[in-house]
Amino acid sequence: MKQSLLATMLMSSIIAGCSSTDLKESMGLNAPFPELTSQTAQLTPAAMDELASNPLLTERSIYFGFNKYDIKSEYSDMLAAHAEFISKYNVAVSINGNADFRGSHEYNLSLGQKRSVAVGDSLNSLGIGNNNVETVSYGEENANQECTGSACDQDRRADIVYVGE
Amino acid sequence: MKIIQNYIYRFIFLLTLITSSFPSNSIEVIEILGGKASQIPIAITPFNEEIKNIDLEKMHKVIANDLERSGLFTSLDTSGISTIPDSDMLINFSNWSALQAQFLVVGKIITIQNKLTTRWSLIDIYKEKTVLSMEFSGSKKQYRAIAHKISDLVYKKLTGSPGVFHTRITFVKKKSEKIYGLYVSDYDGFNQRAIVNSSQPIISPRWSPDGKKIAYVSFEKKKPVIYVQDLTTGKRVLVANFKGNNSAPAWSPDSKKLAIVLTYSANSQIYIINSDGSGIKQLMRTRSINTEPAWSPDGKEIFFSSDRGGNPQIYKVNVEGVSDVNRVTFEGKGNLSPSLSPDGKLLLFLTQDNGKFRVAVQNLSTNQVLKLTKGPHDESPIFSPNGHMILFTYKDYGKTTKIGTVSVNGLKVTPLRVGSEAILESSWGPITNN
Amino acid sequence: MIFKKLSNAMIISKLQDNYELQANLFSFVIHFGLFIFMLVSIQWQMKDVYYSEIELWDAMPMQIKSQPVANKKKSADLKKSIPKPIEKQKRLKINEEAEIKLKKRKEKKAKIKKIQKQALKQEKLEQLQKKLLEQEKLEQLQKKLLEQEKLEGIQKKILEQDKLDKLKESILDQEIKKEARIAIEGDQEVFAGSNTGELDKFKAMIQQKIYQNVNKQLCGGDLVELEFEIQLMPTGELLGEPKLIQSSKIESCDQALERAILQSQPLPVPKDVKLFSRLKKLKLMFQPNAYTE
Repeated sequence: MKQSLLATMLMSSIIAGCSSTDLKESMGLNAPFPELTSQTAQLTPAAMDELASNPLLTERSIYFGFNKYDIKSEYSDMLAAHAEFISKYNVAVSINGNADFRGSHEYNLSLGQKRSVAVGDSLNSLGIGNNNVETVSYGEENANQECTGSACDQDRRADIVYVGE
Repeated sequence: MKIIQNYIYRFIFLLTLITSSFPSNSIEVIEILGGKASQIPIAITPFNEEIKNIDLEKMHKVIANDLERSGLFTSLDTSGISTIPDSDMLINFSNWSALQAQFLVVGKIITIQNKLTTRWSLIDIYKEKTVLSMEFSGSKKQYRAIAHKISDLVYKKLTGSPGVFHTRITFVKKKSEKIYGLYVSDYDGFNQRAIVNSSQPIISPRWSPDGKKIAYVSFEKKKPVIYVQDLTTGKRVLVANFKGNNSAPAWSPDSKKLAIVLTYSANSQIYIINSDGSGIKQLMRTRSINTEPAWSPDGKEIFFSSDRGGNPQIYKVNVEGVSDVNRVTFEGKGNLSPSLSPDGKLLLFLTQDNGKFRVAVQNLSTNQVLKLTKGPHDESPIFSPNGHMILFTYKDYGKTTKIGTVSVNGLKVTPLRVGSEAILESSWGPITNN
Repeated sequence: MIFKKLSNAMIISKLQDNYELQANLFSFVIHFGLFIFMLVSIQWQMKDVYYSEIELWDAMPMQIKSQPVANKKKSADLKKSIPKPIEKQKRLKINEEAEIKLKKRKEKKAKIKKIQKQALKQEKLEQLQKKLLEQEKLEQLQKKLLEQEKLEGIQKKILEQDKLDKLKESILDQEIKKEARIAIEGDQEVFAGSNTGELDKFKAMIQQKIYQNVNKQLCGGDLVELEFEIQLMPTGELLGEPKLIQSSKIESCDQALERAILQSQPLPVPKDVKLFSRLKKLKLMFQPNAYTE
């Protein structure tokens, strides 16, 4: 009972579009992950087919330079395709940010987050609201801890992952 | 009468002669400025013990390793000495002085059934007197604990600072791609045991200042969330699971609050929460990354890393009242992972120097920076509770991450023997009074 | 001659006391020897002198006419006896003269000997004087050298006061080592008299030796100051224990610096008594954390 009440409270505050600076003391302990699934639709088999067949949609990763989080223009088509897909089926998507192993775990977590947010912002600018997007970071936890030089490039990326895949 | 007068005059004359030949009253003064960062040479002789069936490291070795690791002592090799004293009687001071020893530790261990009684003394070679003389009793299991206690007492006596040789540390081991463990061990890596096992990464373990709990970040829910685990009961509470990331828990000095980092509002920002997860309050918000909070020992300021200036640097902000943010680090391409020494005078952090990550300390009054390690991938620096040693992880190019200590003067780097698996992050527990 | 004697006197007064004593003793010995010699030699000459008694007759003997032959004999005897006393007198006179001559010769010899001895003495004195002058010259040269170095040192310090603290530290260190090196390499014979250059040399050596043993790691991070008073024996060892006048307020720091002092024994001290007496009691002031690294 209490939990659902809390969930409702949390969601209502989110729906109300309250700016993120207003975290109220009364919020207390928070709702479990994922909080947004009730707002969005599940992935239908048709949607899954499209994901598999559309070459742009099979592209899921955006890569970044060292310590960078700006999205290069080569990814515009891919992002546009995904934006279209999300809007069409109203599905939820999680952007997972990553970083290579160099630097502290916590800072890399933040850097990964910045990359994921950058992708989320791109989707926003393509008309996708925050209801459909969750930005998450894994920092360096998925990275190759023993890479050297350019072998580390692939760890600096954001992945688009559809909820329910 | 005249004769007496004569003698008096003679006496006065003599006196003036004598006193006039005295040197002037001014004593010569010699000023000696500066000094050397040297180590006290101490000899720790093997204790006289008849313990059977113990394949433990010998007590004198444990003590010698403790004192050497601190960077303030150098233990002398006593293997060449024919007669080893086991008490402070009949010490041949000139012999020990000839070996350049300034202090000597001797001891005797008597075993009665399963009980050990250790009688030991700390002797000052220059002053030729006994400084400390004590007796401890314990079970065989407490063999190393007794050795560490002796190290602590010797350390305190000779340096004035409390010893940390009885304290414990916590660290995350990656046993394989799907097996992670959060461990607790003696400060030197011995007697380790797992308190959490997970198939997902664990990062940022932090021991509470009151020694009762460990906060850590776990990815077991497919995203980073913060747990606080009680060390006596083994029970844990999920204190932060907001939307987005929940990470970087930092205990307030009174163990009542945690500074944490949430990406609730997109990028990483710092919040303060009660240690049970209640009562959240945002510290500040900018468009940049603000993460890795660390409290000052007086609880008034929080140091953190931020990329508001482009590259990551370390800043500080008041917890209450005026929210002036001041930049603290200015050297190098990037500075991360701040923490404060127990006396609040030194900032410990990671500095990015020519592509290498190195452990460094900065004097907060003079702003002088001393790089303690050479890199290239040193991380997770954390002070010992007396501020004399730093625990950190390191690795060479393409090899497993290991854990070790460096003395705060940078002179002594010693690895910890905890096994061959990779170590992610670590934290140091407080001084306990037992 | 007189001038020489005067100058001799001046030289003698310059010399140390025992030379005067020696001279007096020597003179006494010479005079005593001469006296003995005089006694002995006169006795020896006396043996050759013909010593005879003189009889002087008041009147001529009465002549008896009846006995002219007898008278003639008697007058002949008289005539014979009268030339004896005259010869004796002459001889005595000669002897006296000889005596006097001898005496004079002896005195002359003695005088010559005295003069020779004095001349020898004078030679020796002159040699000593030469040595003294040389020594004084050396002393002056050394003084000049030390003064020059001091000046250079002061000039350097003024120039470098503008530089950072780190540079200051290294330069100060270098200067101390230099002074210590000169003190060790140079002539360590101590000359008489007060010489502040010598004193500073030893102070620098003591400072350098103790500095090597100061372990500042036990003194925290603040600029603490300590003061000890020590007393030294001529061997360089401490007399008693170092006395703590001003504590750093950190026990391990006080102890570490006391250890540093004890470890530095024996301290380098001068052999000359006067110079050592100025270093018998010392105040040692420490600032172990000066010039943070």
